[in-house]
This record gives sequence, C-alpha cells and structure tokens, in this order.
Amino acid sequence: MLKLNKDSVLGTFTIIIGFCLVCSVLVSSAVVALDPFKAAAIANDRQVSILRVSGFETQGTVAQTYADHIQAQLLDTESGSILADRQAEADGYNFASLAKNPEFSIAIPAEEDQAGIRTRTKLMPIYFAHDENGTVTRVILPFYGAALWSTAYGYVAVAPDGNTIKAVTFYSHGETPGLGGEIDNPRWQALWVDKQIENAAGELAFTIKKNAAKEGEAAAFEVDALSGATLTTNGIRNAAQYWLGTVYKPFLDQLRKGEILK
Amino acid sequence: MSSDVKAPTWKEAFLEPLIANNPVMIQVLGICSTLAVTSSMKTAFVMGISVTAVTALSNAAVSYTRNYIPGSVRIIAQMTIIASLVILVDQILRAFAYDLSKQLSVYVGLIITNCIVMGRTEGFALKYPPLPSFMDGLGNGLGYMIVLCIIATIREVFGSGSWFGLTILQTVNNGGWYVPCGLLVMPPCGFFLVGLLIWAVKTYRKELIEPAEYDTHREDY
Repeated sequence: MLKLNKDSVLGTFTIIIGFCLVCSVLVSSAVVALDPFKAAAIANDRQVSILRVSGFETQGTVAQTYADHIQAQLLDTESGSILADRQAEADGYNFASLAKNPEFSIAIPAEEDQAGIRTRTKLMPIYFAHDENGTVTRVILPFYGAALWSTAYGYVAVAPDGNTIKAVTFYSHGETPGLGGEIDNPRWQALWVDKQIENAAGELAFTIKKNAAKEGEAAAFEVDALSGATLTTNGIRNAAQYWLGTVYKPFLDQLRKGEILK
Repeated sequence: MSSDVKAPTWKEAFLEPLIANNPVMIQVLGICSTLAVTSSMKTAFVMGISVTAVTALSNAAVSYTRNYIPGSVRIIAQMTIIASLVILVDQILRAFAYDLSKQLSVYVGLIITNCIVMGRTEGFALKYPPLPSFMDGLGNGLGYMIVLCIIATIREVFGSGSWFGLTILQTVNNGGWYVPCGLLVMPPCGFFLVGLLIWAVKTYRKELIEPAEYDTHREDY
C-alpha cells in the first residue's frame, strides 16, 4: 500500500477529499432512496388535513376515503373560475413554494397585504368534498398568513352556499405550544363552525376578536380570540379575512349565486 | 494505535456520562436545544433519540478513522461525518415520522451544532478505540435524553396538562379545571428548570461540585 503521510499537504487533501466523497455518496443515496417515502408522508399529511375539515370520517385507509370523497380543482383566483382542463395538476399543487417563483405568482401590494405574505400564486388548488351521490357538501380552501412566529397554513371548509364556514384546521405553524399553538385546539376551531363570511350587504364581516358577541346579529360573524395569544389570533384573523374576503371573493360570489355548483 | 492512552472500558465510558459526567447537568452543553424542544415530551423524546444516534455513530466513525484524520483539519473531518449523519437522521424522520419532524423543524438540523456531539468526537473519539467511543457516545446521548425527558415531563404536565400527548390534567381550554402555567411552555422556563436540576443533582451528590478555581475568601484579591 502506498505510504502516505497524513499530515503532508497532499495527504491532507487526499484524505479530506476521500472523506467528503464517502459522506456525499452516503447522504445523496439516502436522500434519493427515501424520496418516495417522504412524498408519501407529505401527501398523506395533506389528505389527513383535508379530510379533517371535509366532514367525512376516515373509513379504511386515508387514501381510499380521500379518493371517495374529495375532488381537487385548480382555481384561477382573479376570475374565480375553475380551470377544468388542468384538473390533473390540482391535487397537491404546491402554492407555497410556487409563490416564490415570479412566473406563477403575483406580488401583493403592501396596502392589500393583510396576511403578510408578500406574494401568492395566481392559481390555487381547492377541494370539493362530495358524498356518495356526488353532491358537493363542502368546498375546502387553503389559506395562510403570518401569525406571531411563523406562517400558519390551514384549510377552511365552506358550505355550498358560499358563505357559511363549516370547519377550519391548521396543518403547519410554529406558534408557541399552549399559547398560540392553541389554534390547533378542536374546541377553539369549533367556534368557527357556522360563522358567516359576508353580511347581507355583501361586505366581509367575519372576524376574530376579544369578547366576541355571543348573541345578536354580530354573533354570526365573530369568533372569540384565544386568550394569551392575541398576536397569533390577529394573524389568523388577517389571513382568514384576506383569503376569504379578497382572494376567494370572485369564486365565493359565484358560489353564492349558484353558478359553480349546478 | 500505540499512541492511545489507556482507554476506559466500554462500561465506564457508557455509565459515566449518564449522571456523574452528564453533558447537560455537569458540562452544561447542548443547552440551546434543551430549551427549544422540551415543551412537549414527544419532541424531547425524538430529539433525545436523534442526538443519541448521532453522537454514538459519529463517535464510532471518528474513532475508526482517527489514525487517518490529518491533525490540521481534524475539526473539518469530524464536521463532515457529523453533518452527514444529521442529514441522514433528518431524512429518516421526514420519511417515517413526518408529523414529528414538522414539530422539531430546524432543531434536527441544528444537532450539527450541538456542542455535545462535537465535544465527544474531539474530546473522546479521537483518542480511544471504536467500542468505548461508541459507548461513550451512547452514554452521552442518553444522558442528554434523560435531562430532556425530565424537563419535558415537568413542562408538558404543568404547562399543557398532558404527557406524551395524553391528558393528565384536564385543562380549562378543554373544559376541565386545570389552568395551565403559560410560563412553563416558554423557552426561559426551560432555563430555570435546567438550573434547578443542576442544583438538585449537585446537592444530592456533593462530589460532583467542582472545586472553585480561585479562593473567594483570600484577602489580597
């Protein structure tokens, strides 16, 4: 065997290059080998979140229930129309990473940027939940915005009337457990159920605030904020108002008029 | 090989770091992640396992190659090994424990900078043969994990009323009676608990108190 002085310049370079080669082969082969598992884990996670707000119990496997009850569509947020010819791309359309790509995204003017996200994609995936007969029971809309520490990503399910919130869930956020993290608490999320997005005059009325009205006219629009998590709930409120009141408005207006579901 | 100092047996290497030379309580290393991931038991447990795997395997790998690593770039060589192992652990978590890897977010990647890992490869594995090095890594990882689990237990039970996600104290938010202590889920509280733990251990085992480096009672200071 070639006798190499490990502390000479040549030896140092040879050994370190050898180290790096071995390590990089190890790392890259692991990344490639685990790729299908990671993709499956991400898809499964998305399906679980969507099913949670769909109103359908998981029967059998998650993938099976999802295939039975959920249909994804790609929505053009500007016109509010569904791009039926691009339906194949809809499921898992990665709006979070495409929002950073100018080719697919639009910059949100600062005065409109209530959710604090700066850019968003022109197209958004939306999910129609339907029963065995194909009757649409809920429309599930992804939404996200800057909360206190992190960007919170969630889904909100809207009834076919286009104005009644039926469920909400968050699938990714970095809020403090026990404080802002309580946005995951099912009891708080239950407060969203049956709240109205717009009032009779067609103005956005849905909000999250301290001491929300328990009765009277305003009770239909107000969700009680989480105590000890004012900044997180403000962020969630801004995100919900931005997405439901601005981005999805053209779509929801058509839904309200019954033009989408015939 | 002949340059090896007399190695501790694998048993000594394994048992010492559990309490007597615990990396968190005695050497006060790895505090950053100790504060960050201990607000719930699940994340603390998975973090403990990940760090144990990385310290044990990197110690073994560094020890196997210790006679080839050039002295001038030994830190870089160790870092390469550690970083590769951490990426492996991160990828495995993403593939098979996606939910937990989301909660641990950046902290798995930050195992690379955990002083315990580097401290053990540099301080132990470079001098001793693979078996005691592996056991030393295992012991240090588990020592870290013990502390994490103790702190996470206190923080999760009293901060969120649950343990491993199971309800222990029914909180007010869930319709029970327990008003959770909000401070416990914040990082500073982890700091207080680490301090109290060090105090408790050193009170119970007086031999672990290090001698003062200077005499505080001398008058000519």
